[in-house]
Formats: sequence, C-alpha cells, structure tokens
Amino acid sequence: MKNTLTIITILISLIAFSQTSQDSITFNPQKQLNAAQRLLSGNYGKAITVGAYGEVTYNQPEGQNGELDVQRLVLLFGYKFNDKTQFVTEVEFEHVEEVFIEQAFINYNVASNISLRGGLMLIPMGIINEFHEPTTFNGVERPAVDNLIVPTTWREIGVGVSGRFNEISLGYQAYIFNGFKSASSDGEGGINGILKGSNGLRSGRQKGIKSTVNSPTISAKLDYYGVPGLRLGLSGYFGKTQAEDDVDNIDGTTIGVSMIGLDARYAYQRFTARGQFIHADLSDTEAYNNLTGRDLGSALQGWYIEGAYNLLPQDKSQRLFAFARYEQYDTHSKTDGGLERNDAYNRNDLTTGLSYHIAPGVVLKGDYQFRDNAASGIDVANRLNFGIGVWF
Amino acid sequence: MNINFLLFLITASFLMSFGLPKNIQKKVDKEIEKTFNIETFNFTAVLIDAEINKELPSKFGENNFFKIETNNTLLGYAYLSKAPSKTAEFDYLVLLDKDLIVLKSKVLIYREDYGGEIGSSRWLRQFIGKSDSDTLILDKNIIAISGATISVRSMTNAMNDLLKSLKILQSKKIL
Repeated sequence: MKNTLTIITILISLIAFSQTSQDSITFNPQKQLNAAQRLLSGNYGKAITVGAYGEVTYNQPEGQNGELDVQRLVLLFGYKFNDKTQFVTEVEFEHVEEVFIEQAFINYNVASNISLRGGLMLIPMGIINEFHEPTTFNGVERPAVDNLIVPTTWREIGVGVSGRFNEISLGYQAYIFNGFKSASSDGEGGINGILKGSNGLRSGRQKGIKSTVNSPTISAKLDYYGVPGLRLGLSGYFGKTQAEDDVDNIDGTTIGVSMIGLDARYAYQRFTARGQFIHADLSDTEAYNNLTGRDLGSALQGWYIEGAYNLLPQDKSQRLFAFARYEQYDTHSKTDGGLERNDAYNRNDLTTGLSYHIAPGVVLKGDYQFRDNAASGIDVANRLNFGIGVWF
Repeated sequence: MNINFLLFLITASFLMSFGLPKNIQKKVDKEIEKTFNIETFNFTAVLIDAEINKELPSKFGENNFFKIETNNTLLGYAYLSKAPSKTAEFDYLVLLDKDLIVLKSKVLIYREDYGGEIGSSRWLRQFIGKSDSDTLILDKNIIAISGATISVRSMTNAMNDLLKSLKILQSKKIL
C-alpha cells in the first residue's frame, strides 16, 4: 500500500510540475501580442486583459503654427467572468485632459459564433470607426471621411447581436442604438441646434454621456472575408435624431438619418489597399435649419481609396509602408430648401507618406497632405504631419 | 495488489479526470470523422516527458496531443490547444496525417467578437499541407485578414510553434 501512495504522489506532482512549466512566459518577442496580459499570467490574471493604444501627433500646416498633441491615449481593460461572459471597456484620454469612455459593454456568447452584446459600443460603419488603432491605418490622421461623414469614434449605448458563419466567411452585427442629439432648449424659449453644415452629424454624438433618447436607431453590418486577402463590408444605420424632452414635440427639432457604407480592404504580399464609400441622407433638414438657424446639408457623402506598399522584405519583422490616399468628401452633398451648398465643405485631400512599423504594435508615421476644396478664394492649408502610435 | 492492476486504476482515473471537455470532444470527433472519413477510431493521449516538454515551443500537456488509430493502424494525430485573441483565448484543433503533415485546422471555440474571422474555413485552408519543413510568414505564405490582425498573428504563431515542436519531437525520435 505504501508503494501505491508513492506512485500516486509522484504522478500528481509530475502533473502539477508539467502544468506549471507549460504555463510559463515565453520570451519570444513575436508572441508578445499583449504584454500586460502575459504579465498578469497567474490564475487570476487569466481573466484580466490590459491593453492600450495611443497617438502622439505633430501637425504642421503651411504658414501657421504647428500643433503637438497627445491626441489620444486609450486604456483597455477586459474581464472574463466565465467562458461565455466578458466585459470590455476602453477609457480614453483625449488631448491629455478630456476623459471619455470609448467602449463599455458585456459580451455574452450564447452559442458558438453568436454573441449578445449590450452597453456602450462602436457603431459599425465603414472601416475606421471599429478599427482605429494607429497601427492599423496609414497616415498620422484618420481619413477625413471618417471624421466628417462617419463621425469617428462614434459610439452610443445600445444592445445587439453579433456573429459569423465560418463556412461562408460571413460576419454580421445588428444593434439598436441611441441616436444623435440634434436639439436642446436654449432656456429662453428658443431652440439650440446641435448639428451643422461644417461637420454634419459629428457634434450630435452623445457618447453615452447622460444621453437623451426618444426613438431608437438601428445599425447593422455584414463583413465578407471569403476571398483570400480581401475583406468587404456593407453597413447601414437608420433612425431619427433625438431632441431634449422639453423640445422634442416641436417640428424641426429632429431629422431622419439613413447612412450606408461600403468598404473594402485588400492585402497581398507587400501590397495593401483599402477603400470606402459612405452616403447619408438626412431628412427634414429644411425644417431643422429654419427652426435652428443652422446650415445642415440634406446629404453627406465621402469616399477614399488608398494603396500602400511594404518597402522591406516580408521576413523582416519591421515593415515600412509607402502609401497614398485620395479622399473626397462633402457635408453639403445636397441641401434642402433655400440653403445654398457651401463649396468650402466640398473637399478633397491627397495624403502621401510613410508608416514605419518598428515592431508589431509600434509605428512611426510621416505624411504630407495636399488639401483643397471646391470654393474659390478659400484655401485649405496643406500640412505636414508626424506621429508616433502604439497598440498592445 | 497486482502492480499492473494498480497502474490500470491510476491510468483510468487519470483519463477520467483529465479527458477533454464533452463539448470539445464532440467537435473533435466530428472533425476526425470528416477528415479521415472514418466512423470508429481510437483517440489516445500521447504523453511527452516533462523534460522534453520544456524544449518545445508549444504546450504538450496531457490534453494536447492525441493519436488517432483504427484497427491498430496509425491514421494520424490531433493537436488541441489555446491561443490568445485580443481579450480572450480561443481553442483550436490541428489534425495531422501519420507523417505529421497538416490535414486540417479548425477554431473550435472563439470567445470574443474581435478577430473571429480567423474561424473562416477559407482562411484556415492555408495551413493544409504544411509540415515541419515549413516556416509560416504572415503576408508571405500566409495571407492575413484585415481587422483580425491580432488573432491572425496568434494563430500563425501557434501553427509555427506546433510545426517547430513536431520537428523537435521527430528529431528526438519520439514521433
């Protein structure tokens, strides 16, 4: 019997030993996908994820002062309660001093490849709103289409479902979200219009900050990735904007928004390309502009196309992309009523430069932007940009 | 007590307490049946000595590596493990033929939305036919998926580690 015990003890300790050794940290730099996650590799740490992304930028418009900015630093925390239930949040510091929550949602895996989600989430529209970590796109600044037409980082509180069909390489997302805020009371019996011609819907993002809701909006996206190297997206967003409670019965305080987006990303060997087209129809803008004195267009539209080539051999862990992107965007693509189209809002940018990935997750960027608009006599200054971006 | 019987008892309890979770075993069985075109087979763990294990880039614990046999003929092997995605870990399966050439790779459980594209059968097909003489390089012989960079890199690293581990095991005449 003594022998039995000895054998069992040896076996158990062997098992325990082998498990400990297998769990140890590997110092292969390529495997360090998430450094903090590995640091926290105890039993408790396995449930926790820590990550971050950040951008430090320098913009130098011609003939003006430059700007140096810690544009954003976003800290990611995730906690896995069990195999099916996960919480993810991103805390964002913009320009050092402004704090926002960029995402905060629960993901519940109901079945293989189907999740229910609820909380503050990103609206799936185009590429950059969902994929905006600085190492994932070329150029110091995000494309302007993804600023003025798709108001990145566009996030609202909502619930939805996401999933995928692996056999046909198709992913889907569908959500009910809170919408943009379009009007509030100015406190003196008047109406304060929030949306405007120069940046379309951008000022109306509620970002989950005591957001007001009257009618929900719907958002959906399909992603197809069945052709090697290619990924295609089709997004839609539909609904009305929200006005504050005391003014939402007044005609003209809300408008309708129907936005569709098409996007494509392609990568083959050292070549990558991407493109995107976004169109938004805004209804009842005439009444809105009459009531608020704003100049909101009745359609927003923008597109861009970009190509990049990795100048370094592929077996190097570093990558140096030379890229060029052309974009055209107009927040007065159409206007309703007596509102004249403002040609200064009809813009195009040609951005060309380098993205030097010195390690997976660290990028140095430099580019020059030739910027123009359709208005005569009003110029947009060209500018030189440099940036440092990290993501882990 | 007969020492053989004792060993049997220990092995039996060992297998019972460390077998694959039911839901995983079901998925694995299905893949084996499909890939090898068989209905009945023996699925037994291949245990690697702890000392050798230390030298292997992949994890070869008691529930990672299995041999697949039918009528005492070796058909191939199955390797199961976990790899990190952005904020979680996913379970994957690799089926190898008896010469250790990849026959199939599959993501069994993916636990978050981000990067789930790597479950695409079309994408995973790229690993079929790879063996320990191959080194997988992203964007060179493995095509990435935009928007799933972390998981793509993770799965590619996992496959590379597995191929390297198999090479070591073969060089030591363990396989």
